[in-house]
Amino acid sequence: MHIPDGFLGVPEAVVIAGVSVLVLGVAARRAEGAIERGAGPVVGVVAAGVFAAQMLNWPIPGGTSAHFVGGALIAILLGPHLGALAMASVVATQAFLFGDGGVLALGANVFNMAIVDVYVAYFVYRVLRPYNESVAVFGAGWLGITAAALAAGIELGLSQAFAYDLVTTVTIMGGGHLILGLIEGAITILVFRAVVATRPDVFQERVRSGVSG
Amino acid sequence: MTERVFHRPWFRQSLVVLAILVLLSPVFAWAAEAVNYAEPLEHAAAVTGAASAASTILPGLFPDYSIPGLGPWVGTLVAGLVGTAVTLALGVAIGRFLTQ
Repeated sequence: MHIPDGFLGVPEAVVIAGVSVLVLGVAARRAEGAIERGAGPVVGVVAAGVFAAQMLNWPIPGGTSAHFVGGALIAILLGPHLGALAMASVVATQAFLFGDGGVLALGANVFNMAIVDVYVAYFVYRVLRPYNESVAVFGAGWLGITAAALAAGIELGLSQAFAYDLVTTVTIMGGGHLILGLIEGAITILVFRAVVATRPDVFQERVRSGVSG
Repeated sequence: MTERVFHRPWFRQSLVVLAILVLLSPVFAWAAEAVNYAEPLEHAAAVTGAASAASTILPGLFPDYSIPGLGPWVGTLVAGLVGTAVTLALGVAIGRFLTQ
């Protein structure tokens, strides 16, 4: 999911980076003042957990593999605005410290994983939660990562490096993650259940209204 | 503030969970290597002939989650510890900044 440098044209990368900066700026304004004092450690633990979980590549023999992205988990635990900012910090750390994802492509990677994944996942979660919370959490994980992959597929398909082969990039990225996203959904619900069991106060309405923004 | 946080049971438990995830990372890295780990992005690049276009502008301090001079297992472990600590600090900073 992490796009390296060279895959996107410079103008395309700059435009997507500009959009990401704008959206994160709005997210920061929306999250500002809506967070309870002392929420910092919660944000830190969730961000660090997503980073550590992203290091665990799923070894699928003979097939296409992936790793947990965590957009849905971070959106549900922190709310979409704070979640987007926390995920952006993870993606930036990966790029600058580990070369995982290009620095010129950082804006696109932030757009895909910290914006599209997080906001789509949160939308799915909010729509489905009144009917069934487990389905909502699973669906958020599944469709969030699929949406992020589709966004990446469109970006890559519009680039010269990929011969402007939009159909191929969208099919492979979207189709691949539509299947792999089932694992993302399953992990999301497992971790969600574990967090609810050990830290139920995170989901009390008092904290939820504050942190979710 | 920092001292108070470290005394909270949930925070200490969270650090244990993070440590377990980091300890698992070399095992997953080895397993991924063993099955020729490839993501849909790499497949799309191979199919469209874009694979050779990948370049590295900034390799990062610890390229590909490795530490120069350390073997793959210890290198991945240390890289995981560093990355987890950095994202933990960044997350705390974001949370604090937005509450001020």
